[in-house]
Amino acid sequence: MAASVLGWALRAARQVSPAPSLPSRSYYVDWRMLRDVKRRKLAYEYADERLRINAIRKNTILPKELQEVADKEIADLPRDSCPVRIRNRCVLTSRPRGVKRRWRLSRIVFRHFADHAQMSGIQRAMW
Amino acid sequence: STSSVLSTEKDESTASKDSTTEVASKSQESTAETPKQKLLDIIGNMKVEVSYRKKLQQLKTREIKKQATNKLEGPDGKGSMLQKTTEDTQRGKPLSPELVEAASAVASFLPLNKKQTESELIAQLRRHEETTDKQKKGGTINIRNVISEMAVKRQSPAQRGVRISNRISLELDEDGQRIKPERLSPQSSDSRSLKVGRRLNIFTKASTETENALKTVSSPTIWDLEFAKEIAAITAQPPRNGFEEMIQWTKEGILWEFPIDNEAGMEDNAEFHEHIFLEKHLEDFPKQGPIRHFMELVICGLSKNPYLSVKQKIEHIEWFQKYFEEKKELLQEI
Repeated sequence: MAASVLGWALRAARQVSPAPSLPSRSYYVDWRMLRDVKRRKLAYEYADERLRINAIRKNTILPKELQEVADKEIADLPRDSCPVRIRNRCVLTSRPRGVKRRWRLSRIVFRHFADHAQMSGIQRAMW
Repeated sequence: STSSVLSTEKDESTASKDSTTEVASKSQESTAETPKQKLLDIIGNMKVEVSYRKKLQQLKTREIKKQATNKLEGPDGKGSMLQKTTEDTQRGKPLSPELVEAASAVASFLPLNKKQTESELIAQLRRHEETTDKQKKGGTINIRNVISEMAVKRQSPAQRGVRISNRISLELDEDGQRIKPERLSPQSSDSRSLKVGRRLNIFTKASTETENALKTVSSPTIWDLEFAKEIAAITAQPPRNGFEEMIQWTKEGILWEFPIDNEAGMEDNAEFHEHIFLEKHLEDFPKQGPIRHFMELVICGLSKNPYLSVKQKIEHIEWFQKYFEEKKELLQEI
């Protein structure tokens, strides 16, 4: 009986143990990257609301007063919640320009890895 | 039908020839043309034979029984139908009465002691039944089968030296590390492979242990939990190689499971009609007016959206409902 109880507790402990104790990486490359991360989080949270309020705004059927009220409402939402403010930075260097979308890397880092044969399926072009 | 009877009997006679050479057979009756005489020959040989090739015997008895009953049906027309399924459906000791009848009929054909042959035939039938039951369950272990697949491997002393020297290599790589000898694949590279061959029934299947669902004890004490955590921390060794690392990541949820399942997180067990016919959610809205028009457009768009689950769609509609409720006073001014 005690053994079975212990076994159950062991299983529970095994499942729980990684989560609280392991620290995840707490340093981003720079502050700009951190702000970008915050913007992404907020944009994810408010995405549905923005979609619905915009559906009311961009409408020809509903009365205009309602649409004006909706305009005010969407302006009241936090500024960082709009997806337009997100910038696709390089994941490793936080470079805002010259980032290839598929790999989320800037061109310099991409070249570095590709030359060291660490990018799967990438080869130097020659034709 | 008589030709088929003849052909099967010929097979039996060739099969029985191996046994007859080893056993002192009864007087071989003159090779008669009639199938009846051949049948009698076979039965006579079979009776005296020391049973040491059991399987062959069982085969023979089975076929003879069938033939005997076929013969009975033909010339005599005794009307005892030996169904093929009687042997399958029979379980346990009691033999079917038809088999007993067949045994007595066969015994009557023989020129020898009738009762003795009948009892012997019935005994053989019983044994036959036992072994078929056992083999169905997979209980018998035929050592013959096990040994037949094995082969003695011989190593010549000249090759031994080669093999030993293969293990230690003295060549150096570019980086200064020794080149390891190439390892064979886990399956033997000989002509035999691991997956070929008959089931040998040497090992019994492990019975699945049923876990205790009931936890009669109240929640385990803190000391138990602490102890469990200690054990977990100790036993969770850091991964030895990349594969174990990937396993750990998959368990944590960092790595996706392969082959990639596009619907990994979401479980939408809804039928298509719940996705498309969303009008029932529109009951609280006014029937006429621009709002209704607007909501119908919303529903039309949602019904065409394959990426949302039914819950999400209902949430959208409910949000609109709440929103328009709040704006009611405003709307009534208009």
